[in-house]
Amino acid sequence: MSDLAEIVRVDDLVKDVRPGFGLRKKRILEGISFRVREREIFGFIGPNGAGKTTTLKVLMGLIRPTSGKASILGHDVSEITFRRQIGFLPEQPYFYDYLTGREILRFYAKLSGVSQKSLERRVAELLELVGLSMSGDTRLRSYSKGMLQRIGVAQALVHDPRVVFLDEPMSGLDPVGRKEVRDIILRLRDEGKTIFMNTHILSDVEMVCDRVAIIVNGRIRYEGAIDEFLDAGEPEADLVFANLPAGTATQLEESFAARLRGHGDRIELRIAEKNSSEALRLALDAGADVISVTPHRVSLESIFLSAVNEADAEAGSR
Amino acid sequence: MIGRIWAMAINTAREAIRNKLLYTLLFFALAMMVFGTVLSALSYVERERMVQDFAFASIRLFSVAIAVFVGVGLIHKEVERRTVYTILSKPLSRTEFLLGKYTGLVLIIWLQVAIMAFFFAGVSLLLGAPLGITHLAALALTGVELALIVALATLFSSFTTPLLASFFSCGIWLAGHLTRDLRDHGASSPSALVREGTTWMHRILPDLESFNLSIEAAHQLPVAASDIWFPALYGAGYVAVILVAAVMIFERRDFR
Repeated sequence: MSDLAEIVRVDDLVKDVRPGFGLRKKRILEGISFRVREREIFGFIGPNGAGKTTTLKVLMGLIRPTSGKASILGHDVSEITFRRQIGFLPEQPYFYDYLTGREILRFYAKLSGVSQKSLERRVAELLELVGLSMSGDTRLRSYSKGMLQRIGVAQALVHDPRVVFLDEPMSGLDPVGRKEVRDIILRLRDEGKTIFMNTHILSDVEMVCDRVAIIVNGRIRYEGAIDEFLDAGEPEADLVFANLPAGTATQLEESFAARLRGHGDRIELRIAEKNSSEALRLALDAGADVISVTPHRVSLESIFLSAVNEADAEAGSR
Repeated sequence: MIGRIWAMAINTAREAIRNKLLYTLLFFALAMMVFGTVLSALSYVERERMVQDFAFASIRLFSVAIAVFVGVGLIHKEVERRTVYTILSKPLSRTEFLLGKYTGLVLIIWLQVAIMAFFFAGVSLLLGAPLGITHLAALALTGVELALIVALATLFSSFTTPLLASFFSCGIWLAGHLTRDLRDHGASSPSALVREGTTWMHRILPDLESFNLSIEAAHQLPVAASDIWFPALYGAGYVAVILVAAVMIFERRDFR
């Protein structure tokens, strides 16, 4: 078994498919590699069609890679027995709708090898965790989308796995549902579980993930701790003034390479944080009123968009 | 392994029980037996035999219909609805999944045959028609034939759509009942190609007439033990081969 600190290890994974009946192959994954470490929430993010779900399906053994290696907890993903230690929530999950919430959890618990002795207790715990205790005996065909998503989370956890894989766990949920799922994810991390999360909702990633990888067009563009992403580059600040004379505005723009935006009589300046004191003094001396001073944080969105643009530019130049 | 296959089988049986098609076909099968009884009242001779012929035909025909039409969706529906994603992420091999689905449907179809058999026995007793061990043997071999048909439907369901799988399964069922006659007719052909062709067809396709003891049962003809054990073993072997093929195909599939 390899280093346990690396829970998921993907090396140079390639997946080719033949769309329709054609002979031409299309490369979905172009040699991706990444690591997921123990007890972290790993966000696997990318636009639609980037290869996120394909990667997850390879990890779950649902599709076979054309080449490359993927392992979880040191086991090749084609093995079966180690799956006692993993849980999986697919995107927009569908379950046997003729079963009740309790019955479906019993079924998955039996498949996962949960002992008969602890089965009922575990099912009750899970229904409680996802807030479905009252609906446990209702057939799934009467469940709302949010309830189905929650029962999906419950089935992924029914056998108390060490690693949980979630494909778009918050998609289709209302704000309350999203917060509930977020809280469950954070609670799982506190319990010592490792979580791999596919998503394109960046605000959720910023809120819960420790590390992320950005995949675009089947290639990993960035991988690292989320704080590293957000703290990358020189820190900036946003200064908002009222009554800033035009000459001073031009002077600030030229002296500090500031970016200017006007809203009515208000002027907003984005400036390197180290220059903000001097810029403020200049503006105040010129008779401007200071409305606000806010440190500017690079958002994951801007990094994500630059990754997408970079990938588009590469594709265009090919 | 057995526990996981059994969990899948029970769930499949539960799904089949909640399928309306099953009840519709069961209703028609029972209605056909009643119709046979009414029809036999118009006859002056061999009324009991007529009733039993009708009943056996109903049991065989409607059970095959259930086996094919429920069986062809067995795997395809799981993939189409993506329920297979969560199931195969559990410590369950694709082989266990497929065997569980197969076992569940076979159990339900045997249960249906048992219900029809009870009805058949009731009608026979009411009319004073003879019932014996041959009837039981005939029903048991029908059960083996149905297990084979479900295996075929499962095989086709593992790689194609329900519509095509229905055509293939029905086609093989029909051909399987004709191969023995074809071989016998082919044997008298002057063409070596026809003789060889019909012989090989009989060897490759399932000889479903070997499971048919309905004439012996209805006429109370003696049946040798080998007429029961040999077809039963032949059927079990055929089922095993088909399921191995189904597993091999299913193991190679990508669920995109």
